[in-house]
Amino acid sequence: MGPLSRENWAQRVATFRASPSAFMVGPEGEDLGRDLLSDLRSEKQSEQTKVSLLSLSLEYPAQLWPDAPAAEAAATSLLDTLVLLPPRPSALRRPLLLAATTALAAGGALGPTSGASRRLLPLLLGLAAGRDLGRGFGPASEQRPLQATACECLRELESCKPGLLGGCLGLLRGLMGQEGPIQPLSLLLSLALRNTLVIKAKARAGLQGLLVAGNSPTEGSPWNWTLAEEGDAHLQPQAPSWSAAEEGECGLAVLEPSPEEARELRAAVAQLLDTSYLLTPAAQAQLLWLLGWAVRGLRGQPPVLFKPQLVRLLGTAQLTLLHAVLALKAAFGEALFTAQDEALLLRRLTLAAQHPALPLPAHLFYLHCLLSFPENWPLGPTGEEAVPLLLGSQLCRGLLPSLLHDPMALLARLHLLCLLCVEDEEKEEKGQDQSLRCYLEELLAGLRQRAALNGGPRALAILCFQASYLVVRCLAGQPMVLTPLTHGLAQLYRAQPALAPHFVDLLDRVGPELGEPLRVALRQEVVSRPGKDEALRWHLQMLAKVANEDAQSATLSFLQAAAAHCLDWGLQQALLQVCRALLRAGVGGGLADLLQVLARQLEDPDGRDHARLYYILLAHLSGPKLGMALGPSLAAPALASSLVAENQGFAAALMVQEAPAPIRLSIGPRRAEGPVPVLQLQVEVLEPVYSLELRFHVERQLYAPVGAVHVPCLCPGRPTSPLLLPLQPRRPAPARLDVRALYTTPTGLTCHAHLPPLPVNFADLFLPFPQPPEGAKVGFFEELWDSCLPEGTESQLWCPLGPHRLEALVSCHLEPFVVVAQAPTSYCIAIRLPPDSRLLLRLEAAHADGVPVALRTDDWAVLPLVGAYLRGLSAAV
Amino acid sequence: MAQRAVWLISHEPGTPLCGTVRFSRRYPTVEKRARVFNGESYVPVPEDGPLLKALLFELRLLDDDKDFAESRDSCSHINKTSIYGLLVGGKELWPVVAFLKNGMIYACVPLVEQTLSPRPPLISISGISQGFELLFGIQDFLYLGQKNDTELYTKLSQLPDLLLQACPFGTLLDANLQNSLDSNNFASVTHPQKQPAWKAGIYKGKPQVSISITEKVKSMQYGKQDVADTWQVVGAVTCKCDLEGSMPNVTISLSLPTNGSPLQDILVHPCVTSLDSAILTSSSIDAMDDSAFSGPYKFPLTPPLESFNLCYYTSQVPVPPILGFYQVKEEEIQLKITVNLKLHESVKNSFEFCEAHIPFYNRGPITHVEYKVSFGQLEVFREKSLLIWIIGQKFPKSMEISLSGTVTFGAKSHEKQPFDQICIGGTAYLKLHFRILDYTLTGCYADQHSVQVFASGKPKISTYRKLISSDYYIWNSKAPAPVTYGSLVL
Repeated sequence: MGPLSRENWAQRVATFRASPSAFMVGPEGEDLGRDLLSDLRSEKQSEQTKVSLLSLSLEYPAQLWPDAPAAEAAATSLLDTLVLLPPRPSALRRPLLLAATTALAAGGALGPTSGASRRLLPLLLGLAAGRDLGRGFGPASEQRPLQATACECLRELESCKPGLLGGCLGLLRGLMGQEGPIQPLSLLLSLALRNTLVIKAKARAGLQGLLVAGNSPTEGSPWNWTLAEEGDAHLQPQAPSWSAAEEGECGLAVLEPSPEEARELRAAVAQLLDTSYLLTPAAQAQLLWLLGWAVRGLRGQPPVLFKPQLVRLLGTAQLTLLHAVLALKAAFGEALFTAQDEALLLRRLTLAAQHPALPLPAHLFYLHCLLSFPENWPLGPTGEEAVPLLLGSQLCRGLLPSLLHDPMALLARLHLLCLLCVEDEEKEEKGQDQSLRCYLEELLAGLRQRAALNGGPRALAILCFQASYLVVRCLAGQPMVLTPLTHGLAQLYRAQPALAPHFVDLLDRVGPELGEPLRVALRQEVVSRPGKDEALRWHLQMLAKVANEDAQSATLSFLQAAAAHCLDWGLQQALLQVCRALLRAGVGGGLADLLQVLARQLEDPDGRDHARLYYILLAHLSGPKLGMALGPSLAAPALASSLVAENQGFAAALMVQEAPAPIRLSIGPRRAEGPVPVLQLQVEVLEPVYSLELRFHVERQLYAPVGAVHVPCLCPGRPTSPLLLPLQPRRPAPARLDVRALYTTPTGLTCHAHLPPLPVNFADLFLPFPQPPEGAKVGFFEELWDSCLPEGTESQLWCPLGPHRLEALVSCHLEPFVVVAQAPTSYCIAIRLPPDSRLLLRLEAAHADGVPVALRTDDWAVLPLVGAYLRGLSAAV
Repeated sequence: MAQRAVWLISHEPGTPLCGTVRFSRRYPTVEKRARVFNGESYVPVPEDGPLLKALLFELRLLDDDKDFAESRDSCSHINKTSIYGLLVGGKELWPVVAFLKNGMIYACVPLVEQTLSPRPPLISISGISQGFELLFGIQDFLYLGQKNDTELYTKLSQLPDLLLQACPFGTLLDANLQNSLDSNNFASVTHPQKQPAWKAGIYKGKPQVSISITEKVKSMQYGKQDVADTWQVVGAVTCKCDLEGSMPNVTISLSLPTNGSPLQDILVHPCVTSLDSAILTSSSIDAMDDSAFSGPYKFPLTPPLESFNLCYYTSQVPVPPILGFYQVKEEEIQLKITVNLKLHESVKNSFEFCEAHIPFYNRGPITHVEYKVSFGQLEVFREKSLLIWIIGQKFPKSMEISLSGTVTFGAKSHEKQPFDQICIGGTAYLKLHFRILDYTLTGCYADQHSVQVFASGKPKISTYRKLISSDYYIWNSKAPAPVTYGSLVL
C-alpha cells in the first residue's frame, strides 16, 4: 500500500483507537504496524502526522508488533529513522527515542542478544551524558531536551530490567555534579542505585566500587548485562509493600558494605537529597520513596539523612509529598520520627484531611492515611483501620460527619466517628461517649429522613443504608446504638415501603445483633399495615425475608387478607414466596388452611399448582425435611438423610424461574380464509424447550380473549409447523398481543418469560367474501357497494401508482379480495372485516401517474385505518 | 509509582452512553510490569468502550439507577475514597483513581508493584498519590483561566503532547502542565546546572512582585440556644514574581495588626525553602490560647515563573462579620419570614456588593409576596422560588437592617422548582453573598517592606487584598438545621 493521505491516517488512527481489538481482527489490522513504520520514513507525510503515528506506537506496541521478533524489528526501524533524520530541528527525535524504548521494553525484546538493544543503550547513555554524538545528531538547541529524554528512557528500561544500569552508577554520579538537567539524572541515579543494592544484597555480594566514577563503560565497549541478568529473576518493586518490607523481605541487611563503600553510598544519597528541592513535587516524592527503601535496613546508613527535608515537606499540601513522608515513616518508624514528630505528622494530616483549600479526593485520601497511619507503637492488629493512639477525639472534632457532606466524605467521617465511639466505650469516658453517640444517632436520623423523601434520588437511600451498615459493623456490641437504629429503620420502612430491596440487602449483610431485632420490627410493620397495590408488592417481598415461626397468626391473617388483592401473576408469586418462607420456618396449622384456600382461589393455574404442592409437602413431610427440601442451597450437609440427596434441586424444580426467553416469535404470511382471521406464528428456539405454553393477552380488549397455545417440544434448527392463532376481533382494529411463555428447560426447571409484544396489523384482519358464481360478480359487488349507504360512509383517495405498479400491488396484497378485475387498470375489491364490517374498494381508470380509489364501508371508524393502510401500500410498492 | 493508563471522560447525562472519552493514554511498559507484579491477580486495562461503561456504572452516573442493583447499591459496597474497583469482563480492575469535577471524569489506574490478592492497603501504594497529582494537574491545566468550551477543546487537544513531556512513560515528572507547555517556549535558552525542574526558563524584563490575599469567610448561624454558630476564614495568598536570575531568593512576610486574628493551618507552596516551626504547628485543631503565634509569618522561597499560591491558611476571628437572624413561620398556605442582619462595627462598611439570597425549596413557584425592608431592595424570582435582597454597598449607620414579609406559593411542579435534600419541612436558609475590596477579616496584610528580594534590581511590589463570602448560611431558627459536631454546645 502506498503512503496514506493525512486524512486517511487520521481516520485510520481514530478507528483503531475506538477499539484496537476490533481493528486488528479487521482487514487492515495486519498491515498497520508495517505501514506505520514505512510512513514514518516517507517524505510525503507531514511531521504532525508522524508525531501522531509515533504516539500510537507509544500506546499500542503490543497490538502493532505482537511478538519479540516483531518488536525488535520495529525498534531497529525506528532507530534507523532516527539516524536518518536531517540535522535540522525536528519534533520527531524525542518521540522516536521514546517509541524505540517502548517497543523494546514492552515487546520483551530488551536483552544482550538484541541488536536494537545494543544500538539503543549506548545511544541513550551518550545522550544522557551530554556527549557529542557526532554525525549532526540534532542541533544544539535540542541537546538538553534530548538529554532529559534519554535519562527517562534509561529509567524506564531500568524499571523493566532492574540492574541494567548497575555498571553505570559511577558515571551517573559524576554527571550529577556537572551541567545537566538535574531531575532526570537524580531520578535515574536513585532508581539504579536502589536496584543495584537490592540485587547485590540478594546475591550477597558487595558493591565492588560500583559507585565510584570512572568505573563505568567507556564508549564503544560492550554493555555490561551481568547485574541485569542477576536481577532478572524477578522485577523489583520500586516501593515495596509496607508489610512485606516489615517482614524483612527487602533483605538489605545482609549487604555489608565496607566502611569506604558505606561512606560513598551515604555521600551519594546525601547529594541526591540535598538537591531534591530542585525537583518537581511529584519527582521529589519518587526520589524519597526510592531512597527511603534503598537505605532502609542498610548498615551504617542512618535515616537522619532525611531529617533536614522533613519540615519543608510537612509544610506543603502536596499529596505526593505527604504520602512520601508517610512512606519514610513506615520505613524508619522511631528511628526517624520521635513521638513528638509523630504527633506533629498526625496533626498535619488531620488538618490536611479537612483543609478548605484542598479538594475532596485529597481530603478522603488523607483521612484514609490517618486511619491506616503507620504508628511507632501500634496497639491494634495491623491492616485494620483504627484511630491512631496520639489522635484523641478532641483533635478529630473537625473530621466528624455532617449531613452537608458529600456521600463519600460522610461515610469516611462516619467511620471515624464509629471508631471513636468504640474507643470511648472501651475507655468508659461517659460524658464524651454520650455526646458522640447522640451525635451519631441524630446523624443517622437525618439520613433516614432524607431517604424517606418521596421522589428523592436513590442515592439518598443508598447512603442511608450504607451508613447503617457501617455503624452496625463497627458498633455491633453496643445495644445503646442498635436499639434506636432498629426503631429508626422500621419507621423508615413504614414511610417508604419501596425501599424493601434495600432492607432485604441490609438483612443479608448484617449479623444477628441488628438482624434479629430488625426482622421482628419489620415484620410488625408489615403485618400491622395491610396494603393494596404497589405497597403490597413490597410488603410481600419484605415478609418473604422476615417471616418466621413468631407471630404466626398475625402473619397468616395478613396473607389471607392480601390474597384477595393478589390478582396478577407477580403478586401471586410473591405471596407464595412468603408461604414458602413460612414452610421453611416450620409454621404449620394455619398455613395449611391458607394454602388450601390459595389452591382453590388463585386465578393463575401455576399459582394454584404451587399452593397445592406446598400444601402436600406440608402435609407429608416433617419439619426438618421440609426445611431441607425448600432450602436455598443444599451444599451444606445438615441432615444425612437420603431424602435430602433425593431432593437435590427439588426446591428449584418447584419454583418458576424468571428467565430471558430462548424463544423468538414472529408472524408468518397471511391466510385470508375461513370464518375468522388467523395469525400464523413462526416459533424459533435457541435451546430445546418442553411443554411450552404461550399465553396471549390482547391489549385494550379489542379482541375476545385469545386461548393459550401448547407445544410439547421444540428444538433449535428443527423445522416446526406454524402455530395458528385464531382472533376474534370485537372491533376491526389493529392491536398488540402481550405474550408470555411458560416452559420447561432440558434441566427440568420451569421458566417464565415475557416475550416482545406481537403486533396485529389492520390487514391481518382482512377476510374475503364467499366468491359468487362467475357472471354474477359485478352484480354482487354492486349490491355490496350500494348496501353500505346510507349507514356507512364513502371516501375518495388518490393512489400515485401507474397501471403496472397497481397490478403488482393488487396481486401482492389484495389478490384474495378481488371480485371483479380488468387488469391492469380496474379492480373491484370487497373485504370482510370481522366481526361484521365490510370495506369495498373501487380502483378504476388508472392513469399513467395514479389511480383514483373510491371506497365505501359500513363502519366509519375504519376510515382512518384504511387511509393509512393504502398510503402505506402505495409507498411500499 | 507509575500509571498504567489515564482517561478524561465528559459526563453527558441523557445521551445513550452518558459520556464520551475525551482523552486516553495507555502506558504499555507499565502494563507489562503490572502483568509481572500482579501475577495471577493481573487484570488488563480495558479498551475505552468497556471502561467508560464500567466507570459510569460504578460512579452511579448512568441514567439507569432507577432500580436497585446489588453490585452497585448494596449497603456493604462502601467507597470512602475516590478509588474504585471496576467490573470489566467479569474481573475487577483495581485500583482506579477517579473523580468527577465540572462534568469531567478524571481517571487513572496506578501500578501496584505486588500481587493484588489480598489487596494491599491503599496507603502503601505510591502510585495512588502520583495518580491523584497527575489528575489534579490535568484539571488545573484545563480549568485555570479557562473561559469557554472552545478553549477547553483547545486545551484537550494539547494534552497528548503535554503528557509526552510531563508523563512520557507513565511516571509523572511534573504535574504542572503549564510548566511543560512553557518549557517548549524556553527550549533554546541554555540552562545552568541548578535550574529547578519546576521552572521552565528565566525571566527577562522589569522586576516586579505582586501579592494578593483573598480571604473567604464561611459561616453557619442557627439563632438557637443549644446550637453554637460557627464561622471560619480561609485565606489564599497568590504571588507572581517576575525576577531575573535562575534562582532568585525572595522572602515574603505576612503581618497582622495588633488585634489581628492569628493564622492557622498554614499550607505552603513547595517552592518555600524553609518554614518556621511556629508556622508549622499553629493549627485550628488544638484549643486556642493567648500564646498563639501571631506573626510575622515569613516565607523564604525561590519563586517559579508562573503565578502560584504561596500559602493557604485558616483563621478563627472573634465574631462573624455579619450576624444574621432568620425565621420562617408556616401559616396555612403562606410563609411568614423575618430577617435581621447586623454588620459588626469592626468590619469595613464598604462593599463591592452585598446580597442575601433567600431560596424556597421543595415548594411551588412564588405567586405572591408582601414585604417590608428597612434598607435596600428586594427582587422576586417567581419561577425559581427565590428572593434576592440587594443590600448594596453600605449598611446604614445603625449597622442593622431587617426584612419581613409573607410569601405565597403555587402548586408544586417537579420540573421547574428546585429540589433540595436538606431543606425538608421547615428547614430553610438564607445565604449571604458579599465582597469587600482592600480588606481582610483577619487583618492580614503584606506591604512593600515585607518583601525582601535577593536579586539584581529593585522590584516594583504591588499588593492586593479582598474579603469574599463563601457558604455563608443563616438557618431558619424555628426548624431543625444540619449541624456539625463543633456547633453542638456540650
